[in-house]
Order: sequence, then C-alpha cells, then structure tokens
Amino acid sequence: MLNVQNLNKTFKTDGGDVHAVRDVSFHAADGEVVAIIGSSGSGKSTLLSLLGLLDAPDEGSIDMNGTQLAHLDAAGRTKYRSRQVGFVFQAFNLIPNLSAKENVKLALEFAEWPKDERDARAEEMLTMVGLGGDKASRRPNKLSGGEQQRVAIARAFAAQPQLILADEPTGSLDRATGQKIVELLRNAANTQKTTVLVVTHDEKIAKQADRRLEIEDGVLTEIA
Amino acid sequence: MNALRRGVRNAFRNAMRSVGVVVILAVAIALSISMLIARDAVTAKINTVRASTGNTISVSPAGFGGGAFGGGGNPLTNAQITGLLKIANVTSVQAQLAARLSSTQTNLVSPITAGSLGGRFGGGFGGGGFGAGASGSTGTFVIPVRVIGTNAPGNALVGGANGGGTEKLTAGTTFSATSSADVALIGTDMATKNKLTVGSTFTAWGKPITVIGIYDAGSTFANATVLMPLATVQKLSAATNQITGATVYVNNIGNVAGAVTAITKDLGTAADVTSTQATVEAQLSPLNSVKDISTYTLIGAVIGAAIILLLSMLMIVRERRREIGVLKALGATNRSVVSQFIAESTTFTLMGAVVGFIGGVLISSPITSALVSASGGSSPGGFVRRGGGFGGGGSGFTPPTGTGGGGLGFRGFRGLTNTLGNLHTSVGVSTLVFALVAAIVIAALGSTVASATITRIRPAEVLRSE
Repeated sequence: MLNVQNLNKTFKTDGGDVHAVRDVSFHAADGEVVAIIGSSGSGKSTLLSLLGLLDAPDEGSIDMNGTQLAHLDAAGRTKYRSRQVGFVFQAFNLIPNLSAKENVKLALEFAEWPKDERDARAEEMLTMVGLGGDKASRRPNKLSGGEQQRVAIARAFAAQPQLILADEPTGSLDRATGQKIVELLRNAANTQKTTVLVVTHDEKIAKQADRRLEIEDGVLTEIA
Repeated sequence: MNALRRGVRNAFRNAMRSVGVVVILAVAIALSISMLIARDAVTAKINTVRASTGNTISVSPAGFGGGAFGGGGNPLTNAQITGLLKIANVTSVQAQLAARLSSTQTNLVSPITAGSLGGRFGGGFGGGGFGAGASGSTGTFVIPVRVIGTNAPGNALVGGANGGGTEKLTAGTTFSATSSADVALIGTDMATKNKLTVGSTFTAWGKPITVIGIYDAGSTFANATVLMPLATVQKLSAATNQITGATVYVNNIGNVAGAVTAITKDLGTAADVTSTQATVEAQLSPLNSVKDISTYTLIGAVIGAAIILLLSMLMIVRERRREIGVLKALGATNRSVVSQFIAESTTFTLMGAVVGFIGGVLISSPITSALVSASGGSSPGGFVRRGGGFGGGGSGFTPPTGTGGGGLGFRGFRGLTNTLGNLHTSVGVSTLVFALVAAIVIAALGSTVASATITRIRPAEVLRSE
C-alpha cells in the first residue's frame, strides 16, 4: 500500500519559485494500476521523481507498506529504489551495449539479488513479457520499440519491487503496441501484487487503469 | 556483470573512439618510456664517467705550462705545497720539480729525435720553465733530457687520474719519498739509448747519478724521462724549496670541488688549480642537459596523457549522461558508476601502456642518440681541438704529468668525448614498473574530473529532460 500525504515540492528558478507539487495526497493498493493524467509542465514528472525517491520533497510523507520514505538520506533512497521501485520510461532507456537479458540482470545486480539466481530470474521475466529464446541475447538496437519496452518492463519488475513508476510507457509506441504494453503492465501488477503508477497523455490508456488521477499546476485530483 | 566488467566492456563500445584514445595514449606513453630509458642511459653514463674521473687536483705555478713546455711565472714552494695537507679532505700531496738537462749538463742523450715538430717548436718553447733552456734554431734543435724530481716515484709520470697508465719497474728498485740521494730511475728507452743498466752511472749537473731502477711507462715520451728524488733535483739544480707542480688527493670525489676552492683561496694568484672533475663536469654538461630534457619530457608526456584521458572521459561522461541517470534511477550507487568509468579509463590506459611500452622501447635507442648528438654537438669540440694541440707529443713537448695537467688530461678527455655519445639503452624491471605506475597515475588523474561529474549527475534532472 502506497500512502502519500501533503507532498510539496518547490523549485527555485531565475523567474521565481515554481511550486511543482502542491499538497498532493493519495493512496494506491498493492496490485492496483493508477493512471496520472496531466499536461506538460503540470508537475507529473516531479511527482514521479518524488515517489521514485529520485528527489526529496520539501514537505509531506510517502509511506510504503509502513516504511516512511520521504526523508531518507541519499544512500537510503538509493538502496530503497534499487529494491522496491521499478521504472519504465517513455524512451525505454535500456543500456545499449548490454543484451536484453543483461539489462534485466542489471536491476537484479543493483538490488543485490543472489548471484546464482539472477540468470534464471532474468530469463523468467523476459519470458513473462514474451521475449524468451534468442531475443534475450539481442542488444536493444536489434529489438523493435515494443520489444525494448517489454525488456524495460521485465527490468522494472525483476527485483520484485513494491512500486512501478511508468512515465509515458506508450509514448514512443504505436497504438496497438502501446495497448499490449499496458496489458502487460496490468498483468504484471496483478501477478506480482505490485502497485503501478502510469503517467500518460492518452485518455484511452488511462481509462484502462483501476483509478485515474489528474494533476494540474501541481495539484492532484481524482477523476471519478 | 559487475561495474568493473561493464567498464572494461564499455571501453570497446565505440571502436573508432577507443582506437583513437588508445593510439594517442600510446604515443604519449611511448614518449615517456623512451625518455625514461634515455634518462637512465644518460644517468648511467654520467655516473660511470664521474666514477672514473678520480679525486685528484692538479696544482701548478700560475702561468707555467710544464717543465719542457715552458711558459712563465714563479715556482711554488715546499711550504706552500705541504700547507695543502691542512685543507679539509686532502689526504696526500705529491710534489714535483721538472727540469731539462742540456748536453752541457748531462752525458745522457735523449732517445727522442727532434724531428720536424721538435725543430719547429724547439726555439719557441725553449726559453720558459725551469732548468736550463735548450738552445737551438729550427732544424738543429736537440731534445734536452727531461728530469722530474718527485716524492712519489711510482706515480710521477702518468697518474691514473690524468688519463694514462702507471710506470712499471722492469729492473732494480725505487727510491723513497723523502730520499735525497743521487740516484735515478730511468725509462727503458733512455736506458737503451745510453746503454745503462741498474748500477750504471751518468752525470747530471756535474754530479754522478746512480741508476737504481728501470721502468716502462708505456709511451716513448715517458720512457725517455729520468725520475729522481725531489730533494735531489732541488739541490742539484739550485732550485731549493721550489716546486713546479703537485697532485693533491682528496678523500672523496664529492669533496673535490670544495677542495679546489680551498686550495685556490690558500695559494691565491700564485697557482693554477684545476681538477679533472671540473673539466669532466663541463664535458658532461650536454649529457646533463639531455637528462634534464628527458626528465621534463617524461613528466610532460605523462601529464599530457592524463589530460588526453581526462578530456576523453569527460566527453564520454557527457555523452552518457542520460545512461548514468538511468543507472542511478535503477539503484546504482555513485561508487558503482564511478568504478565503471574508472575501469573504462584504466582499460584505455593499459592498452595504451602496452602499445606505448613496446613503441617506447623500440624508439628509445634512436631518440637517445638523437638527443645526445643534438645536445653535445657544440660543447665537446673545443676540448677536442685543444687536446690535439697539447697532446701532439711526437716532439716531446707535452707538459709533465701532474704539473701542467693539461696535456695528458685533455688527451684523456678527447677519448671521453668520443665515448659520450656511445650510450647503452636498456629496459629493466624499473622501466616496466614505471610504465605500470604511469598508467595508473594517468588513469587516476584522467578519471578524476569524470568521476566528479558523475557524482553530480542527478537522475531526476536527467530523466525530467526526457
């Protein structure tokens, strides 16, 4: 269970302070897929950074299954991120000179997954996203966009995190492929009981989520 | 796959760039290796030459060029010479009085014929120095008999430090340092020419002198000389207390320069004080320059290589800024990411070091030769020319060893000059260790800025710009 209360984040810029996230509060259950909709500059990326422990909030709390995360130090945030948070990016962000399997194993290495289990776990995750066999040994440039995003999903789920943050996961894909990716995220969330937050522009994608939230000028509201 | 393996693998990620970085590093490392080898070779040569220089100082009356050679000035005295023993680090002093005997003063006949050189120089040089000057004109000049009064009969003619051999007694015995007897040691040529053996007598300054020994000094000129006790020559030539030259021995080669200064101060303008060391140091000056150049180039090459690597790694880090952000987002620590990049830069450096080491070894010999010949082309020439002038001993006008010091000394230096460029380059374990240490230093220095940049990269900023 993810429980966020009164989260605030302000950036100082030459043009003055920018209140990117204002008193954001929400919760998400294990295995739940929550879509966050917002226009460019609405604060959704900042919110994802705070929830992914890439940045620290000025105020507020982030509670993940009873663990307070908002004010961990840098080392604590890195450790928690490696084990309990998975990222899926719009541009996939796979490491180009590593194979699909090695990209997945990278997440397992950072999570300090037992060495002798990493190989099998990576193969298991790639099979889950439909990339078993010889595609596991291919480098990203030998895979299609949809396949690369599948690898990214396998990487995100590999270390069995409690939270997956997907930032425009279908943004670089055609509609059909994007639809498959969303289904994959839903299935993985259900199978692994992982909370998935999906940031998207696409209303059709958002409607497939269990719940929809909208962020505008840093203020988050739930869409009925 | 851990961070180190990823780093090594990343070094081959962009083949063209990797080859470029490795080649540039290899050139810099090859330059530093060749400079190190050149420096070691030059240092070894300098040490060898210094070790063979000896620790002697020549003292002669100011303006005096040697017994037969002449010149001018006033002789030194026994008191002045013995006073040198009080100077710090001076262990002994060998004194000489050089003289020439004309045919009216001795019944000895010099085994050396005047020849064209003797005829040319005889009149010109005959007027200076001590003892009776030989008279004569060009073409009729008769070589006078050269006599050296010495308190060190075993090392009077060709002191080891002055570039020659030492006289070996082939018959009879020698005299003591303090002897004042009317005795003499004569060279083999002089003995043969005058049909003298041990126990024979000849006359000098009107007195009968007994031959007590015959020596071989290895040269025609030296074997035509007569050695007598210093006190005897002073007495018979009416040159009481007079000294025409001395060789001062110093306890350590490192104290020679200080002793030269002290002796010069002690004797003032009365004497010319020279040490072989000072002359050798001047001769070694080009090699010292090569040593300095190679040292600075070596350091410069290592720093240059580090800068090249630094810029390359900085460029790579900037290129992979997003990737670093992703790694951090996935949970990689700064340490892990920095280790990965250090492994990458170390891989570049080690590849450059291997190629550079081989290249450096191959080019070290020609580079060393080129440096030495370029640096030594002007300086040694003067000595060679002067050596030729003083040392052309066919006529017998080389100044006596140990007094003038110039003749035999310069003759020795001409040989030294010829061997200065003859350097032997070698690659030892130390060179290999240097290559390894240099590679580590280059990799460490080259990674610093990149590492600092990596630690400053915040994944949130990188991903936000997506």
